[in-house]
Amino acid sequence: MKLLIEAIGFGIATGAVIALGAVGFSVQFGISNVLNITYGSMMTLAAFVGYAFLQLNVNVWIVMAITSAVIGVASVVFNRILLEPLKRRGTSFVGIIIATVSAAIVLQYAIVVFVGATAHSFGEQSGRTLTVLDLVFTTSQVIIICTTVALMVGFHLLLTRTKIGRAMRATSTNRTVARACGIRTERIIDFTWLLSGAMCGAAGVALAITTVSFDFTLGSTFLIYMIAAAVLGGIGQPYGAMVGGLVVGIASQVAGAYWSPAYQDVIAFVILIIMLLVRPRGLFSAGAVTRRLANT
Amino acid sequence: MPTSSAERTGGGGSALATRGLVAGYGDVVVVHGVDLDVAEGRLVTVVGPNGAGKSTLLKAILGLSRVMDGHVVLDGDDVTGQPLELLARRGIGYVPQVDDVFETLRVSENLEMGGYLLDKSERAARVDEVLEIFPALKPKMRRYLGTMSGGERKMTAVARALMLAPRVLVLDEPTAGLSPALTRVVLEEQARALASHGKAVLLVEQKAHAALEISDWAYVLVRGAVAKSAPAREVLADPDMAEIFLGAAVRDGGVK
Ligand SMILES: Nc1ncnc2c1ncn2[C@@H]1O[C@H](COP(=O)(O)OP(=O)(O)OP(=O)(O)O)[C@@H](O)[C@H]1O
Ligand SMILES: [Mg+2]
Repeated sequence: MKLLIEAIGFGIATGAVIALGAVGFSVQFGISNVLNITYGSMMTLAAFVGYAFLQLNVNVWIVMAITSAVIGVASVVFNRILLEPLKRRGTSFVGIIIATVSAAIVLQYAIVVFVGATAHSFGEQSGRTLTVLDLVFTTSQVIIICTTVALMVGFHLLLTRTKIGRAMRATSTNRTVARACGIRTERIIDFTWLLSGAMCGAAGVALAITTVSFDFTLGSTFLIYMIAAAVLGGIGQPYGAMVGGLVVGIASQVAGAYWSPAYQDVIAFVILIIMLLVRPRGLFSAGAVTRRLANT
Repeated sequence: MPTSSAERTGGGGSALATRGLVAGYGDVVVVHGVDLDVAEGRLVTVVGPNGAGKSTLLKAILGLSRVMDGHVVLDGDDVTGQPLELLARRGIGYVPQVDDVFETLRVSENLEMGGYLLDKSERAARVDEVLEIFPALKPKMRRYLGTMSGGERKMTAVARALMLAPRVLVLDEPTAGLSPALTRVVLEEQARALASHGKAVLLVEQKAHAALEISDWAYVLVRGAVAKSAPAREVLADPDMAEIFLGAAVRDGGVK
Protein backbone atom coordinates (compact mmCIF):
# COMPACT_ATOMS: atom_id res chain seq x y z
CA MET A 1 0.00 0.00 0.00
CA LYS A 2 2.79 2.36 0.90
CA LEU A 3 4.44 1.46 -2.36
CA LEU A 4 1.27 2.30 -4.25
CA ILE A 5 0.83 5.65 -2.52
CA GLU A 6 4.43 6.53 -3.21
CA ALA A 7 4.07 5.55 -6.83
CA ILE A 8 0.92 7.64 -7.16
CA GLY A 9 2.70 10.63 -5.65
CA PHE A 10 5.55 10.24 -8.12
CA GLY A 11 3.00 9.64 -10.83
CA ILE A 12 1.21 12.91 -10.15
CA ALA A 13 4.50 14.82 -10.20
CA THR A 14 5.65 13.07 -13.38
CA GLY A 15 2.18 13.45 -14.81
CA ALA A 16 2.30 17.20 -14.28
CA VAL A 17 5.50 17.46 -16.33
CA ILE A 18 4.04 15.18 -19.00
CA ALA A 19 0.86 17.26 -19.01
CA LEU A 20 2.82 20.49 -19.31
CA GLY A 21 4.62 19.15 -22.36
CA ALA A 22 1.54 17.42 -23.74
CA VAL A 23 -0.58 20.56 -23.69
CA GLY A 24 1.89 22.42 -25.87
CA PHE A 25 2.29 19.43 -28.17
CA SER A 26 -1.43 18.87 -28.38
CA VAL A 27 -2.34 22.48 -29.09
CA GLN A 28 0.45 22.77 -31.64
CA PHE A 29 -0.86 19.72 -33.44
CA GLY A 30 -4.49 20.68 -33.01
CA ILE A 31 -4.18 24.24 -34.30
CA SER A 32 -1.38 24.12 -36.86
CA ASN A 33 -2.10 20.54 -37.99
CA VAL A 34 1.57 19.59 -37.73
CA LEU A 35 2.61 16.51 -35.79
CA ASN A 36 5.87 18.01 -34.63
CA ILE A 37 8.36 15.34 -33.58
CA THR A 38 11.02 18.05 -33.10
CA TYR A 39 9.10 18.95 -29.95
CA GLY A 40 11.15 16.43 -27.95
CA SER A 41 14.48 17.85 -29.07
CA MET A 42 13.19 21.35 -28.38
CA MET A 43 12.61 20.22 -24.79
CA THR A 44 16.20 19.00 -24.63
CA LEU A 45 17.32 22.35 -25.99
CA ALA A 46 15.25 24.01 -23.25
CA ALA A 47 16.96 21.92 -20.58
CA PHE A 48 20.40 23.00 -21.80
CA VAL A 49 19.42 26.64 -22.30
CA GLY A 50 18.06 26.51 -18.74
CA TYR A 51 21.27 24.87 -17.57
CA ALA A 52 23.29 27.71 -19.12
CA PHE A 53 21.21 30.35 -17.32
CA LEU A 54 21.47 28.39 -14.09
CA GLN A 55 25.26 28.66 -14.30
CA LEU A 56 24.79 32.45 -14.13
CA ASN A 57 23.18 31.97 -10.73
CA VAL A 58 19.71 32.89 -11.91
CA ASN A 59 16.85 31.59 -9.75
CA VAL A 60 15.56 28.33 -11.22
CA TRP A 61 11.97 29.57 -11.68
CA ILE A 62 13.16 32.67 -13.46
CA VAL A 63 15.29 30.37 -15.59
CA MET A 64 12.12 28.48 -16.45
CA ALA A 65 10.34 31.67 -17.51
CA ILE A 66 13.23 32.95 -19.62
CA THR A 67 13.73 29.55 -21.26
CA SER A 68 10.02 29.39 -22.07
CA ALA A 69 10.30 32.65 -23.95
CA VAL A 70 13.46 31.54 -25.77
CA ILE A 71 11.95 28.22 -26.88
CA GLY A 72 8.70 29.96 -27.82
CA VAL A 73 10.54 32.25 -30.20
CA ALA A 74 12.70 29.38 -31.46
CA SER A 75 9.53 27.43 -32.29
CA VAL A 76 8.08 30.31 -34.28
CA VAL A 77 11.32 30.55 -36.25
CA PHE A 78 11.41 26.78 -36.75
CA ASN A 79 7.87 26.77 -38.13
CA ARG A 80 8.53 29.73 -40.39
CA ILE A 81 11.79 28.59 -41.92
CA LEU A 82 11.05 24.89 -42.26
CA LEU A 83 7.40 23.92 -41.96
CA GLU A 84 5.57 26.82 -43.63
CA PRO A 85 7.75 26.67 -46.77
CA LEU A 86 7.09 22.92 -46.96
CA LYS A 87 3.35 23.50 -46.61
CA ARG A 88 3.44 26.16 -49.32
CA ARG A 89 5.07 23.62 -51.62
CA GLY A 90 2.17 21.32 -50.92
CA THR A 91 4.14 18.77 -48.89
CA SER A 92 1.85 16.08 -47.51
CA PHE A 93 1.03 15.62 -43.83
CA VAL A 94 3.34 12.60 -43.69
CA GLY A 95 6.08 14.45 -45.57
CA ILE A 96 6.00 17.16 -42.94
CA ILE A 97 6.17 14.60 -40.12
CA ILE A 98 9.27 13.14 -41.74
CA ALA A 99 10.78 16.61 -41.97
CA THR A 100 10.18 17.13 -38.24
CA VAL A 101 11.71 13.73 -37.45
CA SER A 102 14.81 14.72 -39.43
CA ALA A 103 14.94 18.11 -37.75
CA ALA A 104 14.61 16.41 -34.36
CA ILE A 105 17.65 14.25 -35.04
CA VAL A 106 19.67 17.16 -36.42
CA LEU A 107 18.82 19.31 -33.40
CA GLN A 108 19.58 16.52 -30.95
CA TYR A 109 23.05 15.99 -32.39
CA ALA A 110 23.67 19.70 -32.76
CA ILE A 111 23.15 19.81 -29.00
CA VAL A 112 25.74 17.06 -28.59
CA VAL A 113 28.21 19.12 -30.60
CA PHE A 114 27.82 22.00 -28.17
CA VAL A 115 27.48 20.30 -24.79
CA GLY A 116 28.73 16.77 -25.39
CA ALA A 117 27.01 13.53 -24.52
CA THR A 118 27.72 13.68 -20.80
CA ALA A 119 25.09 13.86 -18.09
CA HIS A 120 24.18 17.26 -16.69
CA SER A 121 22.23 18.17 -13.59
CA PHE A 122 20.26 21.11 -12.29
CA GLY A 123 21.50 20.11 -8.84
CA GLU A 124 19.34 19.97 -5.75
CA GLN A 125 16.25 22.08 -6.54
CA SER A 126 13.58 20.16 -4.74
CA GLY A 127 13.40 22.26 -1.56
CA ARG A 128 11.35 21.23 1.49
CA THR A 129 8.89 18.38 1.31
CA LEU A 130 5.16 18.68 1.72
CA THR A 131 2.66 15.99 2.63
CA VAL A 132 -0.83 15.96 1.16
CA LEU A 133 -3.07 13.01 2.07
CA ASP A 134 -0.09 10.70 2.61
CA LEU A 135 1.41 11.79 -0.69
CA VAL A 136 4.82 13.38 -0.33
CA PHE A 137 5.78 16.17 -2.70
CA THR A 138 8.84 18.36 -2.91
CA THR A 139 8.33 22.10 -3.16
CA SER A 140 9.49 22.14 -6.75
CA GLN A 141 7.03 19.39 -7.64
CA VAL A 142 4.24 21.43 -6.10
CA ILE A 143 5.29 24.52 -8.05
CA ILE A 144 5.38 22.50 -11.27
CA ILE A 145 1.96 20.98 -10.60
CA CYS A 146 0.49 24.42 -9.91
CA THR A 147 2.15 25.92 -12.99
CA THR A 148 0.75 23.12 -15.11
CA VAL A 149 -2.77 23.55 -13.81
CA ALA A 150 -2.61 27.33 -14.21
CA LEU A 151 -1.33 27.12 -17.79
CA MET A 152 -3.94 24.51 -18.63
CA VAL A 153 -6.80 26.64 -17.36
CA GLY A 154 -5.28 29.64 -19.11
CA PHE A 155 -5.06 27.77 -22.40
CA HIS A 156 -8.61 26.55 -22.12
CA LEU A 157 -9.94 30.04 -21.41
CA LEU A 158 -7.84 31.45 -24.22
CA LEU A 159 -9.25 28.99 -26.74
CA THR A 160 -12.86 29.31 -25.66
CA ARG A 161 -13.34 32.81 -24.32
CA THR A 162 -11.15 35.09 -26.36
CA LYS A 163 -11.38 36.39 -29.88
CA ILE A 164 -7.86 35.27 -30.70
CA GLY A 165 -8.62 31.82 -29.29
CA ARG A 166 -11.67 31.46 -31.50
CA ALA A 167 -9.56 32.68 -34.42
CA MET A 168 -7.05 29.94 -33.56
CA ARG A 169 -9.76 27.29 -33.69
CA ALA A 170 -11.20 28.75 -36.89
CA THR A 171 -7.76 28.84 -38.51
CA SER A 172 -7.10 25.26 -37.60
CA THR A 173 -10.41 24.11 -39.05
CA ASN A 174 -10.33 26.00 -42.33
CA ARG A 175 -7.50 28.33 -43.08
CA THR A 176 -8.91 29.59 -46.38
CA VAL A 177 -12.26 30.56 -44.94
CA ALA A 178 -10.49 32.10 -41.94
CA ARG A 179 -8.55 34.28 -44.35
CA ALA A 180 -11.75 35.13 -46.20
CA CYS A 181 -13.00 36.47 -42.86
CA GLY A 182 -10.03 38.84 -42.80
CA ILE A 183 -8.15 36.87 -40.16
CA ARG A 184 -4.38 37.21 -40.55
CA THR A 185 -3.83 33.50 -40.22
CA GLU A 186 -0.05 33.75 -40.43
CA ARG A 187 -0.05 35.73 -37.21
CA ILE A 188 -2.45 33.29 -35.62
CA ILE A 189 -0.14 30.44 -36.55
CA ASP A 190 2.88 32.35 -35.22
CA PHE A 191 1.02 32.97 -31.98
CA THR A 192 0.15 29.28 -31.72
CA TRP A 193 3.79 28.29 -32.13
CA LEU A 194 4.91 30.94 -29.66
CA LEU A 195 2.56 29.67 -26.97
CA SER A 196 3.05 25.98 -27.59
CA GLY A 197 6.80 26.51 -27.88
CA ALA A 198 6.77 28.31 -24.55
CA MET A 199 4.96 25.32 -23.01
CA CYS A 200 7.62 23.09 -24.54
CA GLY A 201 10.35 25.23 -22.98
CA ALA A 202 8.69 25.22 -19.58
CA ALA A 203 8.23 21.45 -19.79
CA GLY A 204 11.88 20.94 -20.75
CA VAL A 205 13.09 22.88 -17.71
CA ALA A 206 10.53 21.20 -15.46
CA LEU A 207 11.74 17.82 -16.66
CA ALA A 208 15.36 18.77 -16.02
CA ILE A 209 14.47 19.97 -12.53
CA THR A 210 12.66 16.76 -11.64
CA THR A 211 15.20 14.28 -13.04
CA VAL A 212 18.44 13.50 -11.27
CA SER A 213 20.53 14.06 -14.38
CA PHE A 214 19.90 14.45 -18.08
CA ASP A 215 21.70 14.33 -21.40
CA PHE A 216 20.93 15.03 -25.07
CA THR A 217 18.28 12.30 -25.18
CA LEU A 218 16.15 13.90 -22.47
CA GLY A 219 13.30 15.15 -24.67
CA SER A 220 13.28 12.44 -27.30
CA THR A 221 12.76 9.68 -24.72
CA PHE A 222 10.06 11.77 -23.05
CA LEU A 223 8.23 12.47 -26.31
CA ILE A 224 6.37 9.16 -26.30
CA TYR A 225 4.81 10.00 -22.92
CA MET A 226 3.56 13.31 -24.22
CA ILE A 227 2.20 11.82 -27.43
CA ALA A 228 0.42 9.15 -25.38
CA ALA A 229 -1.02 11.81 -23.08
CA ALA A 230 -2.09 14.03 -25.96
CA VAL A 231 -3.75 11.15 -27.80
CA LEU A 232 -5.38 9.97 -24.60
CA GLY A 233 -6.83 13.40 -23.93
CA GLY A 234 -7.82 14.10 -27.52
CA ILE A 235 -5.64 16.23 -29.76
CA GLY A 236 -6.00 19.97 -29.26
CA GLN A 237 -7.76 19.68 -25.90
CA PRO A 238 -5.85 21.34 -23.03
CA TYR A 239 -7.86 19.63 -20.29
CA GLY A 240 -7.63 16.34 -22.11
CA ALA A 241 -3.86 16.62 -22.19
CA MET A 242 -3.85 17.25 -18.44
CA VAL A 243 -5.93 14.18 -17.69
CA GLY A 244 -3.89 12.22 -20.22
CA GLY A 245 -0.66 13.36 -18.58
CA LEU A 246 -1.85 12.26 -15.15
CA VAL A 247 -3.04 8.88 -16.37
CA VAL A 248 0.18 8.20 -18.25
CA GLY A 249 2.31 9.50 -15.38
CA ILE A 250 0.60 7.47 -12.68
CA ALA A 251 0.33 4.33 -14.82
CA SER A 252 4.01 4.40 -15.71
CA GLN A 253 5.13 5.03 -12.12
CA VAL A 254 2.89 2.29 -10.75
CA ALA A 255 4.18 -0.10 -13.39
CA GLY A 256 7.72 0.92 -12.53
CA ALA A 257 7.17 0.36 -8.80
CA TYR A 258 5.40 -3.02 -9.04
CA TRP A 259 7.23 -4.65 -11.93
CA SER A 260 10.36 -2.94 -13.04
CA PRO A 261 11.35 0.60 -14.00
CA ALA A 262 12.07 -0.87 -17.41
CA TYR A 263 8.30 -1.15 -17.94
CA GLN A 264 7.71 2.59 -17.54
CA ASP A 265 8.19 3.32 -21.22
CA VAL A 266 6.31 0.19 -22.22
CA ILE A 267 3.22 1.40 -20.36
CA ALA A 268 3.21 4.65 -22.35
CA PHE A 269 3.34 2.68 -25.58
CA VAL A 270 0.65 0.28 -24.46
CA ILE A 271 -1.67 3.15 -23.50
CA LEU A 272 -0.99 4.81 -26.83
CA ILE A 273 -1.76 1.69 -28.84
CA ILE A 274 -4.90 0.86 -26.88
CA MET A 275 -6.16 4.41 -27.27
CA LEU A 276 -5.53 4.42 -31.00
CA LEU A 277 -7.46 1.17 -31.29
CA VAL A 278 -10.33 2.00 -29.01
CA ARG A 279 -10.79 5.75 -29.12
CA PRO A 280 -8.58 7.30 -31.77
CA ARG A 281 -9.99 10.72 -30.99
CA GLY A 282 -9.17 10.54 -27.32
CA LEU A 283 -11.14 9.90 -24.16
CA PHE A 284 -13.07 13.07 -24.82
CA SER A 285 -14.02 12.37 -28.39
CA ALA A 286 -13.71 15.27 -30.79
CA GLY A 287 -17.38 16.15 -30.87
CA ALA A 288 -17.80 15.98 -27.16
CA VAL A 289 -14.76 18.09 -26.44
CA THR A 290 -15.32 20.61 -29.18
CA ARG A 291 -18.70 21.01 -27.64
CA ARG A 292 -17.22 21.45 -24.21
CA LEU A 293 -14.59 23.77 -25.62
CA ALA A 294 -17.28 25.88 -27.15
CA ASN A 295 -19.51 25.78 -24.08
CA THR A 296 -18.29 29.09 -22.78
CA MET B 1 -9.88 51.06 -65.85
CA PRO B 2 -10.65 51.16 -69.57
CA THR B 3 -13.96 52.67 -70.56
CA SER B 4 -14.87 49.48 -72.33
CA SER B 5 -15.50 47.84 -68.99
CA ALA B 6 -18.10 50.40 -68.06
CA GLU B 7 -19.80 49.93 -71.41
CA ARG B 8 -19.72 46.20 -71.25
CA THR B 9 -21.15 45.90 -67.80
CA GLY B 10 -23.41 48.90 -68.20
CA GLY B 11 -22.21 50.22 -64.85
CA GLY B 12 -20.04 53.09 -63.73
CA GLY B 13 -16.61 51.42 -64.01
CA SER B 14 -15.50 48.10 -62.67
CA ALA B 15 -15.39 47.34 -59.00
CA LEU B 16 -13.62 44.12 -59.88
CA ALA B 17 -11.85 43.28 -63.11
CA THR B 18 -9.29 40.90 -64.54
CA ARG B 19 -7.04 41.64 -67.49
CA GLY B 20 -5.38 38.86 -69.45
CA LEU B 21 -5.45 36.64 -66.40
CA VAL B 22 -3.45 33.44 -66.81
CA ALA B 23 -3.62 31.13 -63.82
CA GLY B 24 -3.31 27.55 -62.66
CA TYR B 25 -1.53 25.26 -60.23
CA GLY B 26 2.20 24.61 -60.23
CA ASP B 27 3.16 24.54 -63.90
CA VAL B 28 -0.30 23.62 -65.12
CA VAL B 29 -2.12 26.47 -66.83
CA VAL B 30 -5.89 26.26 -66.35
CA VAL B 31 -7.10 29.78 -67.10
CA HIS B 32 -5.86 31.23 -70.39
CA GLY B 33 -5.97 35.02 -70.45
CA VAL B 34 -9.37 36.01 -69.12
CA ASP B 35 -10.75 39.57 -69.23
CA LEU B 36 -13.67 40.05 -66.91
CA ASP B 37 -15.52 43.02 -65.44
CA VAL B 38 -17.96 43.36 -62.61
CA ALA B 39 -19.33 46.83 -61.95
CA GLU B 40 -21.00 48.03 -58.80
CA GLY B 41 -24.64 47.14 -58.78
CA ARG B 42 -24.19 44.37 -61.31
CA LEU B 43 -24.60 40.64 -61.10
CA VAL B 44 -22.18 38.88 -63.40
CA THR B 45 -22.30 35.13 -63.85
CA VAL B 46 -19.65 32.77 -65.15
CA VAL B 47 -21.02 29.56 -66.60
CA GLY B 48 -19.28 26.68 -68.28
CA PRO B 49 -18.82 22.93 -68.18
CA ASN B 50 -17.23 21.06 -65.29
CA GLY B 51 -13.49 21.50 -65.25
CA ALA B 52 -13.60 24.61 -67.44
CA GLY B 53 -11.59 26.52 -64.86
CA LYS B 54 -14.35 28.60 -63.25
CA SER B 55 -13.23 27.92 -59.69
CA THR B 56 -9.60 28.40 -60.67
CA LEU B 57 -10.47 31.80 -62.13
CA LEU B 58 -12.14 32.85 -58.89
CA LYS B 59 -9.24 31.49 -56.86
CA ALA B 60 -6.81 33.46 -59.00
CA ILE B 61 -8.77 36.63 -58.23
CA LEU B 62 -8.53 35.81 -54.53
CA GLY B 63 -4.84 34.96 -54.52
CA LEU B 64 -5.55 31.26 -53.97
CA SER B 65 -4.35 29.80 -57.26
CA ARG B 66 -1.16 30.73 -59.03
CA VAL B 67 -1.37 33.79 -61.28
CA MET B 68 1.16 33.42 -64.08
CA ASP B 69 0.27 36.53 -66.03
CA GLY B 70 -2.25 39.34 -66.18
CA HIS B 71 -3.86 41.43 -63.47
CA VAL B 72 -6.64 41.54 -60.95
CA VAL B 73 -8.01 45.03 -60.38
CA LEU B 74 -10.13 46.06 -57.40
CA ASP B 75 -11.60 49.58 -57.39
CA GLY B 76 -8.95 50.65 -59.87
CA ASP B 77 -6.03 49.25 -57.83
CA ASP B 78 -3.91 46.36 -58.97
CA VAL B 79 -4.35 43.67 -56.32
CA THR B 80 -2.88 40.74 -58.25
CA GLY B 81 -1.72 38.01 -55.92
CA GLN B 82 -2.62 39.94 -52.79
CA PRO B 83 -3.35 37.69 -49.83
CA LEU B 84 -6.98 36.84 -49.28
CA GLU B 85 -7.12 38.34 -45.79
CA LEU B 86 -6.16 41.74 -47.20
CA LEU B 87 -8.71 41.44 -49.99
CA ALA B 88 -11.31 40.60 -47.35
CA ARG B 89 -10.33 43.71 -45.44
CA ARG B 90 -10.73 45.70 -48.65
CA GLY B 91 -14.28 44.53 -49.05
CA ILE B 92 -14.29 41.29 -51.02
CA GLY B 93 -16.46 38.50 -49.69
CA TYR B 94 -15.78 34.95 -50.88
CA VAL B 95 -17.64 31.67 -50.59
CA PRO B 96 -15.58 28.76 -51.93
CA GLN B 97 -17.20 25.90 -53.81
CA VAL B 98 -16.09 23.29 -51.26
CA ASP B 99 -14.80 23.50 -47.66
CA ASP B 100 -16.81 26.65 -47.25
CA VAL B 101 -17.52 26.56 -43.49
CA PHE B 102 -15.78 26.00 -40.16
CA GLU B 103 -16.78 22.38 -39.59
CA THR B 104 -15.85 22.16 -35.92
CA LEU B 105 -17.54 25.41 -34.97
CA ARG B 106 -21.18 26.16 -34.27
CA VAL B 107 -23.36 28.13 -36.69
CA SER B 108 -23.19 31.05 -34.28
CA GLU B 109 -19.41 30.86 -34.17
CA ASN B 110 -19.20 30.65 -37.95
CA LEU B 111 -21.14 33.88 -38.16
CA GLU B 112 -19.03 35.44 -35.42
CA MET B 113 -15.90 34.53 -37.35
CA GLY B 114 -17.45 36.05 -40.44
CA GLY B 115 -17.70 39.27 -38.45
CA TYR B 116 -14.20 38.96 -37.05
CA LEU B 117 -13.26 42.46 -38.20
CA LEU B 118 -16.32 44.05 -36.59
CA ASP B 119 -16.49 45.14 -32.99
CA LYS B 120 -18.70 43.25 -30.60
CA SER B 121 -21.91 45.31 -30.78
CA GLU B 122 -21.68 45.72 -34.55
CA ARG B 123 -21.19 42.00 -34.87
CA ALA B 124 -24.25 41.12 -32.80
CA ALA B 125 -26.39 43.53 -34.82
CA ARG B 126 -25.07 42.12 -38.06
CA VAL B 127 -25.79 38.54 -36.99
CA ASP B 128 -29.42 39.55 -36.50
CA GLU B 129 -29.55 41.15 -39.96
CA VAL B 130 -28.01 38.13 -41.63
CA LEU B 131 -30.42 35.81 -39.81
CA GLU B 132 -33.31 37.80 -41.24
CA ILE B 133 -32.06 36.69 -44.64
CA PHE B 134 -31.70 33.05 -43.61
CA PRO B 135 -34.37 32.55 -40.93
CA ALA B 136 -33.93 28.77 -41.28
CA LEU B 137 -30.61 29.12 -39.47
CA LYS B 138 -32.15 30.75 -36.41
CA PRO B 139 -33.15 27.58 -34.57
CA LYS B 140 -29.83 25.95 -35.49
CA MET B 141 -27.44 28.53 -34.12
CA ARG B 142 -25.91 26.18 -31.57
CA ARG B 143 -25.42 23.27 -33.97
CA TYR B 144 -21.99 22.24 -35.20
CA LEU B 145 -21.50 22.56 -38.94
CA GLY B 146 -20.09 19.05 -39.06
CA THR B 147 -23.55 17.75 -38.17
CA MET B 148 -25.56 19.77 -40.68
CA SER B 149 -26.99 19.09 -44.12
CA GLY B 150 -25.41 20.30 -47.34
CA GLY B 151 -28.02 23.00 -47.80
CA GLU B 152 -27.70 24.23 -44.23
CA ARG B 153 -23.96 24.41 -44.66
CA LYS B 154 -24.28 26.47 -47.82
CA MET B 155 -26.65 28.86 -46.09
CA THR B 156 -24.19 29.24 -43.26
CA ALA B 157 -21.36 29.79 -45.71
CA VAL B 158 -23.19 32.53 -47.56
CA ALA B 159 -24.42 34.07 -44.32
CA ARG B 160 -20.86 34.08 -43.00
CA ALA B 161 -19.64 35.89 -46.11
CA LEU B 162 -22.37 38.50 -45.72
CA MET B 163 -21.29 39.32 -42.16
CA LEU B 164 -18.75 41.91 -43.31
CA ALA B 165 -21.26 43.44 -45.75
CA PRO B 166 -18.73 43.11 -48.57
CA ARG B 167 -18.89 45.54 -51.51
CA VAL B 168 -17.73 42.83 -53.89
CA LEU B 169 -19.08 39.34 -53.47
CA VAL B 170 -17.50 36.31 -55.13
CA LEU B 171 -19.68 33.20 -54.93
CA ASP B 172 -18.59 29.81 -56.24
CA GLU B 173 -21.75 27.75 -56.78
CA PRO B 174 -23.59 29.06 -53.74
CA THR B 175 -26.69 27.03 -54.57
CA ALA B 176 -25.03 23.62 -54.80
CA GLY B 177 -27.12 21.21 -52.76
CA LEU B 178 -29.88 23.71 -52.10
CA SER B 179 -33.51 22.92 -52.75
CA PRO B 180 -35.21 24.73 -55.66
CA ALA B 181 -36.87 27.05 -53.16
CA LEU B 182 -33.62 27.93 -51.43
CA THR B 183 -31.84 28.22 -54.75
CA ARG B 184 -34.35 30.89 -55.63
CA VAL B 185 -33.80 32.59 -52.30
CA VAL B 186 -30.04 32.66 -52.77
CA LEU B 187 -30.13 33.72 -56.40
CA GLU B 188 -33.03 36.14 -56.47
CA GLU B 189 -33.34 37.41 -52.95
CA GLN B 190 -29.61 37.30 -52.28
CA ALA B 191 -27.34 37.62 -55.28
CA ARG B 192 -29.82 39.73 -57.26
CA ALA B 193 -30.86 41.82 -54.29
CA LEU B 194 -27.27 42.48 -53.26
CA ALA B 195 -26.44 43.67 -56.75
CA SER B 196 -29.51 45.87 -56.76
CA HIS B 197 -28.25 47.37 -53.52
CA GLY B 198 -25.09 48.45 -55.24
CA LYS B 199 -22.78 45.51 -54.61
CA ALA B 200 -20.71 43.95 -57.34
CA VAL B 201 -21.54 40.26 -57.45
CA LEU B 202 -19.50 37.66 -59.32
CA LEU B 203 -21.26 34.34 -59.45
CA VAL B 204 -20.26 30.93 -60.73
CA GLU B 205 -23.24 28.65 -61.25
CA GLN B 206 -23.97 25.18 -62.55
CA LYS B 207 -27.67 26.02 -62.56
CA ALA B 208 -26.98 28.13 -65.64
CA HIS B 209 -30.57 28.80 -66.59
CA ALA B 210 -31.68 30.00 -63.19
CA ALA B 211 -28.54 32.08 -62.78
CA LEU B 212 -28.64 33.70 -66.20
CA GLU B 213 -32.27 34.71 -65.76
CA ILE B 214 -31.34 37.06 -62.95
CA SER B 215 -27.88 38.13 -64.18
CA ASP B 216 -26.88 41.32 -65.97
CA TRP B 217 -23.94 39.89 -67.82
CA ALA B 218 -22.61 36.42 -68.55
CA TYR B 219 -19.29 34.91 -69.40
CA VAL B 220 -19.16 31.46 -70.87
CA LEU B 221 -15.90 29.82 -69.94
CA VAL B 222 -14.79 26.83 -71.99
CA ARG B 223 -11.45 25.16 -71.35
CA GLY B 224 -10.07 28.14 -69.49
CA ALA B 225 -10.98 30.78 -72.08
CA VAL B 226 -13.96 33.08 -72.50
CA ALA B 227 -16.05 31.58 -75.32
CA LYS B 228 -18.71 34.24 -75.04
CA SER B 229 -19.19 37.47 -73.14
CA ALA B 230 -22.63 39.01 -73.54
CA PRO B 231 -25.70 40.26 -71.70
CA ALA B 232 -27.15 37.33 -69.79
CA ARG B 233 -30.43 37.53 -71.74
CA GLU B 234 -28.56 37.00 -74.98
CA VAL B 235 -26.65 34.02 -73.71
CA LEU B 236 -29.87 32.56 -72.39
CA ALA B 237 -31.56 32.98 -75.78
CA ASP B 238 -28.58 31.73 -77.81
CA PRO B 239 -29.49 28.37 -79.35
CA ASP B 240 -25.78 27.49 -79.62
CA MET B 241 -25.28 27.78 -75.91
CA ALA B 242 -26.74 24.47 -74.85
CA GLU B 243 -24.67 22.81 -77.51
CA ILE B 244 -21.42 24.54 -76.51
CA PHE B 245 -22.15 23.71 -72.94
CA LEU B 246 -22.92 20.06 -73.34
CA GLY B 247 -20.53 19.56 -76.22
CA ALA B 248 -17.60 20.89 -74.25
CA ALA B 249 -18.69 19.06 -71.15
CA VAL B 250 -18.83 15.77 -72.96
CA ARG B 251 -15.46 16.36 -74.58
CA ASP B 252 -13.92 17.13 -71.18
CA GLY B 253 -15.63 14.12 -69.69
CA GLY B 254 -17.16 16.45 -67.15
CA VAL B 255 -20.84 15.58 -67.31
CA LYS B 256 -22.08 14.46 -63.93
N1 LIG C 1 -5.61 22.18 -56.65
C1 LIG C 1 -5.46 21.80 -57.95
N2 LIG C 1 -4.28 21.36 -58.39
C2 LIG C 1 -4.12 21.00 -59.68
N3 LIG C 1 -5.10 21.04 -60.60
C3 LIG C 1 -6.29 21.49 -60.23
C4 LIG C 1 -6.55 21.87 -58.87
N4 LIG C 1 -7.83 22.27 -58.78
C5 LIG C 1 -8.35 22.12 -60.01
N5 LIG C 1 -7.44 21.65 -60.88
C6 LIG C 1 -7.66 21.40 -62.31
O1 LIG C 1 -8.02 22.59 -62.94
C7 LIG C 1 -9.04 22.36 -63.90
C8 LIG C 1 -10.17 23.32 -63.67
O2 LIG C 1 -10.74 23.08 -62.39
P1 LIG C 1 -11.81 24.06 -61.76
O3 LIG C 1 -12.08 23.59 -60.38
O4 LIG C 1 -11.36 25.46 -61.95
O5 LIG C 1 -13.06 23.77 -62.71
P2 LIG C 1 -14.56 24.32 -62.58
O6 LIG C 1 -14.87 24.99 -63.86
O7 LIG C 1 -14.74 25.09 -61.34
O8 LIG C 1 -15.36 22.95 -62.52
P3 LIG C 1 -16.69 22.57 -61.69
O9 LIG C 1 -17.83 23.09 -62.47
O10 LIG C 1 -16.67 21.09 -61.68
O11 LIG C 1 -16.57 23.16 -60.33
C9 LIG C 1 -9.44 20.90 -63.77
O12 LIG C 1 -8.88 20.22 -64.86
C10 LIG C 1 -8.81 20.43 -62.49
O13 LIG C 1 -8.36 19.12 -62.62
MG1 LIG D 1 -15.75 24.84 -59.63
